[in-house]
Amino acid sequence: MTDTSPILEARGIDHDYGTVSVLQDVSVTIPKGSVTALIGPNGAGKTTLIRDLAGLHEPTAGEITYHGPETAREIGYLPQHPAFRPGFTCRETLEFYASLVGDDEAAAMEHLSRVGLEDAAERNVEALSGGMTRLLGIAQATIGDPPIIVLDEPGSGLDPGMSMHVFDVASELADEGITILLSSHDLELVERIADEVLVLSDGQIVQRGSMTELRNRFGVDSLWSVYENAIGGDLDTVRVQGEHA
Amino acid sequence: MSEDVSASSQSATVQETETGTDRSTRSAPSPRHRLGTIIRRELRTVVRTRTFFVLALAFAAVVLGIVWVGESVQAGYVPTLVDLLTPLELLVPVIAIAFGYRAILGDEQRGELDVLETYPVRGRELVFGVYIGRAVGLLVTILVPLALVAVAVVVTESDALTVYATHTGADSPVLFGRFVVLTALFALSVLAVALAISSIVSGTRSALALAVVALVVLLVGMDLAIAYGFSAGVIGDSGLIYSLAMSPLSAYRGLVFESAVVVAAGTGPEVAAPIASLVSLVVWTVGSLAVATWALNR
Repeated sequence: MTDTSPILEARGIDHDYGTVSVLQDVSVTIPKGSVTALIGPNGAGKTTLIRDLAGLHEPTAGEITYHGPETAREIGYLPQHPAFRPGFTCRETLEFYASLVGDDEAAAMEHLSRVGLEDAAERNVEALSGGMTRLLGIAQATIGDPPIIVLDEPGSGLDPGMSMHVFDVASELADEGITILLSSHDLELVERIADEVLVLSDGQIVQRGSMTELRNRFGVDSLWSVYENAIGGDLDTVRVQGEHA
Repeated sequence: MSEDVSASSQSATVQETETGTDRSTRSAPSPRHRLGTIIRRELRTVVRTRTFFVLALAFAAVVLGIVWVGESVQAGYVPTLVDLLTPLELLVPVIAIAFGYRAILGDEQRGELDVLETYPVRGRELVFGVYIGRAVGLLVTILVPLALVAVAVVVTESDALTVYATHTGADSPVLFGRFVVLTALFALSVLAVALAISSIVSGTRSALALAVVALVVLLVGMDLAIAYGFSAGVIGDSGLIYSLAMSPLSAYRGLVFESAVVVAAGTGPEVAAPIASLVSLVVWTVGSLAVATWALNR
């Protein structure tokens, strides 16, 4: 973490899907150069918030302010289930995205190397494993050197080793000064790389702070314990939103 | 698809402030560069998609088979185009829909449209890029067999031509050329409709269903509606050719008759309103692309 000034701020975000209110009055500050993790149970609204912050859809109400530099691509994005147009190699896929921000083939290869996929450059995207596809997705998210990269559950569905590798890549990007915002259910990996943690429950941020602050606040020694205390209630029950709108 | 990162609506407001950075700033490439990038990807996709290749081969086989079996090539250009007109009225829309109905839907299903929203690509650039790329593939698929047919006429025509007439009472490659150009325009308008379908729907099944509906409406429905309107007296004698122009299929058919068949016959009734028919094809094309862009920006 190199700078605590915010690069992205959201104030009073509401997001409704028809009559279902998914986010209510959510305010978030993403410090520059940090790794901010968004955790919470399924259906809490993590993906909706991530997509709002990435500018992929419009919140019903609220204000999102980007404080970063004016550049060709301000926010990089890795979807929860990244997929690419079949029939193209990894290199061709990244060249396409790189060309959209004015970069050349060499830059595309650099981004591929950054995530350790240089040996798979000529492999077709449909022949990649789930982990390699996720890494290619992260390489895509870094195209254009966006100041912020948003990763929606980067480790979901991966084996522990690959999951750890994906998080390590995210951590390395943060070391280079890129602001990382990610959502995840893997609390151990979040604990390992996150500078700031936001706990989202029932469409609201119920806890926020650094790892140390959160542990001290609840007098516990792990993020899992923080999660249990922050979420409360029966963790075995799937929470269904929709009573708020 | 936009260049704005911050987004909000209604009571939401958008702000973007600059506080300096330790990351390098850069500007987006020109719209022409971005469009070229999208077109190149579509062209590669068309070239690498086996289905399109098979479709092109099948289309070529059918077209060449019709003129070969019908022996119209020996009679000249106009008999050949008359032989081909009805089959093309069916085949061209089917092929155009096949080229376009998943063009944008595929990107949406893979989540690539979301990803592209974080790039400096506007919705209309994506739609035009995809359209142009697919259009090149479609035109190659349709025009190459027609060019081969023209060559076949040259080689096999029983009475070799000595005059390249454009009007009244003579067979001519110019008339066949008009037929080819009009077929291309018809194909492009249906491709635009397919792209609009691809942008509106959210699943392959609904895309297929809507594509079938579009084919039925374009191939049968509009003509039936015009025929019913005419028989019921809603459409008068003088308005019939203008009503026919509203349907892309009837516009195409009318233009071919007006500019390539009736002309060669030297005389005949007025079968189409050429300007209105051309305007109709352009409106179907531009309108459909506008719908596709609107759907993408929703």
